[in-house]
Amino acid sequence: MRILVLILLPWLAIFLQSTFFSIYSIKGTIPDLVLVFVTFFALFNRVEKGTAYALFCGLLEDLYMGRFIGLNALSKGLIAYIIGRTQGNVFKENIFVGLFSVLLATVLNSLFLFLLSIVVFEVFHIDTSMLNSILYQAAYNAVVAVPIYIWYYNSAKGGVLKTPGRVK
Amino acid sequence: MFKLFGNKFLWLLLLIIIIFLALMNSTAAHRDNLTLVEKIVRDAYVPMQSGVSRFMGNLDGWTGTFSDKNRLQQKIKELEAENGKLALENQSLREYKQESMRLRRMLNFEDTSRDRYDLLAAHVIARSPNNWYKCITIDRGSRQGVKKDMPVISPGGLVGLVASVSENSAQVSLITDREMAVGAIIQETRETNGIVEGLGDSNQLRMINIPYYSKIKKSDLIVSSGLSAIYPPGIMIGTVTEVAREPNGLLLSAEIRPAVNFDKLEEVLVVTGYQPETGAEVEEE
Repeated sequence: MRILVLILLPWLAIFLQSTFFSIYSIKGTIPDLVLVFVTFFALFNRVEKGTAYALFCGLLEDLYMGRFIGLNALSKGLIAYIIGRTQGNVFKENIFVGLFSVLLATVLNSLFLFLLSIVVFEVFHIDTSMLNSILYQAAYNAVVAVPIYIWYYNSAKGGVLKTPGRVK
Repeated sequence: MFKLFGNKFLWLLLLIIIIFLALMNSTAAHRDNLTLVEKIVRDAYVPMQSGVSRFMGNLDGWTGTFSDKNRLQQKIKELEAENGKLALENQSLREYKQESMRLRRMLNFEDTSRDRYDLLAAHVIARSPNNWYKCITIDRGSRQGVKKDMPVISPGGLVGLVASVSENSAQVSLITDREMAVGAIIQETRETNGIVEGLGDSNQLRMINIPYYSKIKKSDLIVSSGLSAIYPPGIMIGTVTEVAREPNGLLLSAEIRPAVNFDKLEEVLVVTGYQPETGAEVEEE
């Protein structure tokens, strides 16, 4: 059941982003729910698992977009690796840890996508509208992250997302 | 340090990074077709997205029923008046068209007017799931005859280009996407061949490569030039809102407000075939 939910989460996130949230965009910006799920999974699991899950979620996004396979997978994989490396030293009961992680992940995701675009495609046009979009997305992600974090925390501690065999 | 070299996970991660970089590099080039996995993933979303699209359409209808009746009646009156004016204008334009054709034949001009499109209507069922690309997904794919690089229009004007096609859906890159560029001219004066490029913003385009001596001004209407092999000529792109001189002083650039409201786009028309009309065909009409 846990595996099924973990597979369905990014699937549902892409579906919501391409339909529901595109209608309720703020200044043309939509939240990145896939990134929010990847961030929370990395916070609650070991670095290896978090990175593998992020690569899967990013790859699904890349396959849906049909443009450059690997761009989102690599970006999200690196973010999960960074969060996974630090997750043992943070107090996860505090919701602000979740929110700060999402804000950090949003900025890092934009930075990685930008850098990867330069490495692979040589040039990438960047202007103030793009920087504004990153700020709006960070804020939007933080807002949607609040209910998701509460649900995720409860599910990871004693619900459908609880790791089998975990005593904590 | 030696501990780091012995970390199997890090080596595996490095290998994955190299594989994905190679994959990105190979898929970055212009691809004619999606891979089988991409088609399967894309088509798996189509039924759900079509359902939501229909539901949202019905929701609009229901909320519209309860909206202000007087406002709607007023709107109908305005539209009827506008329709009358347009009918008269259309009649007059038909006369001009006939006259133009006669003069063209007299002068042995080859007719290049845009008149014959094979159009395929499609519903917008989804939009880009991220902020980096400006695209829409339509509910028509290769099964219905949609092919990559077909232009997409709406009654308002140029929408974009089919970027990729799966069996039952197609992804259309909007002209507002950063990767898009369209050859354009000023509708009235037919001068100034420039390039309209997307800025990643739904409500703004930029026309570049305009010579410094151009008479382009605010409120000019910009249409596709037809110089590229993809877009037919004369399709409305937008209105000039601002003209500025480039830092080199030799060229101008113009901010364009798109003719199409991309945030509200629900139906589009895919141009599956385009043929310029001939003089003989006009006579038959």
